[in-house]
Amino acid sequence: MIRLEHVSKVYKTSTRPALDNVSVEMDKGEFVFLIGPSGSGKSTFLRLLLREEVPSKGRVYVSNFDVAKMSRRRVPRLRQSIGCVFQDFRLLTNKTVAENVAFALEVIGKPRNTIVKVVPEVLQLVGLDGKADRMPHELSGGEQQRVAIARAFVNRPLVLLADEPTGNLDPDTSQDIMLLLERINRTGTTVLMATHDHSIVDSMRRRVVELDHGRIIRDDARGVYGVGR
Amino acid sequence: MRTSFVFSEVVTGLRRNVTMTIAMILTTAISLGLLGGGLLIVRMVDKMQDNYQSKLEVSVLLTNDVSANDKDCAQQPCAGLRSALETTSGVETVVYENRDKGYERFKQIFEAQPELVKLARPEAIPATFRVKLEDPARAGVIVQAFTGKAGVKAVNDQGEFLGRLLDVFNGLRNIVLGLALVQALAALLLISNTIQVSAFTRRTEVGIMRLVGATRWYTQLPFLIEAVVAGVIGAVVGVGGLALMVWGGTRVSGELFSSQILPPMGLLDVVIISPILLGVAVFISALTGYVTLRLYVRL
Repeated sequence: MIRLEHVSKVYKTSTRPALDNVSVEMDKGEFVFLIGPSGSGKSTFLRLLLREEVPSKGRVYVSNFDVAKMSRRRVPRLRQSIGCVFQDFRLLTNKTVAENVAFALEVIGKPRNTIVKVVPEVLQLVGLDGKADRMPHELSGGEQQRVAIARAFVNRPLVLLADEPTGNLDPDTSQDIMLLLERINRTGTTVLMATHDHSIVDSMRRRVVELDHGRIIRDDARGVYGVGR
Repeated sequence: MRTSFVFSEVVTGLRRNVTMTIAMILTTAISLGLLGGGLLIVRMVDKMQDNYQSKLEVSVLLTNDVSANDKDCAQQPCAGLRSALETTSGVETVVYENRDKGYERFKQIFEAQPELVKLARPEAIPATFRVKLEDPARAGVIVQAFTGKAGVKAVNDQGEFLGRLLDVFNGLRNIVLGLALVQALAALLLISNTIQVSAFTRRTEVGIMRLVGATRWYTQLPFLIEAVVAGVIGAVVGVGGLALMVWGGTRVSGELFSSQILPPMGLLDVVIISPILLGVAVFISALTGYVTLRLYVRL
């Protein structure tokens, strides 16, 4: 589903590569933690998958998209098959919960009748049924992240990228969000989550890919955050 | 493409930026109003040329001697001049107007100013050949050939007078179009600026749109339509202002027009040029919007 072949990325403003000859493969339906200290290359990794960046060297594949080589015109198609969740939720403050989720479908031209059908479904899936007409500021942090996850998942993406999704949440709420991501993973969606959260990684016992200075230093099938940490 | 979505985005954008939107509309309106004014002057000059071209004559004024003694143009040098004029190529008609007829005409023209008529003596009016040409632009040939001939006092080309009048109008037109151009530049920069501000205030939306895979058209179209809508409203306001000015102008200067010295400009003329103004507004705002989005806004 995701494959990187000898990928390096050097930013113009830096001499040290953000990613240095990275090769890794993630299968359909896998749940993978991407861990490592700040500046280890996690964000660059995610940005390459979304084609927010182009690698300096190597090839990137997501599903059957040759991400680095594809034309700009096809980038929207790639992004429609990837859902994204962030630490800061990135909700539209002037739209209701339902409108926030519907927005993701409206802007890719989905017909009205599809939208009115799938939005309540996905809100129920993330446990927000009954809160469709709330504004984001009326919700707790965990609920806001659920809205963001609903928005990322509403178009049934093949891959869900989560960049520190629990970074702003307390441990209990974080656990709830993880349960939700697991549920989404069980529908067959590949989930790739960049995180610093030890306890979550340790309790989930999923595949762990650790980056340090742009290199993969560990890839455990059922790993923990770090030995002795 | 979901049009309802795009239009709700456009309305939100214009409302959020309302002061800029108004500035954009007003500058566009003034610019297009001036452009329209220039176009009206062009139309007026054209009409004037059409009106007068068919009536333009070359007048060959005869000396006092001939004017006094040769009522029917039967003697030399008058008869010779007439046949010479008639045989000149390009001449359509030659009419001899003796001193008495000339005086009658003078009285008719200045009917409204009896004191002027009272002052004038028939002896002051020269006998004249009124020469109509097939092509009034070739009047110079007659002027050259007959100036200074025996019995000829002077040769006047009416086209020359008309030409001077038209020059005044053409100068006015150039000034107005020049102002329109400067104002258009201001409008252009404002449109560009408004789009940049608009894109900045909506960066979260646009960021999400990009992320979920909205196409370039979907992200950019609301901004483009915003610019075009403002342009069109500006054009409508501009045309409205122009119509108001033409309407007011014809009321104030009614006599000038009714005396047929200047061809009247009516609301019809404004209606005729309004599609041009609208087209210019749409084209310029869309182009500015597109270029701005391409160059300055990363969507």
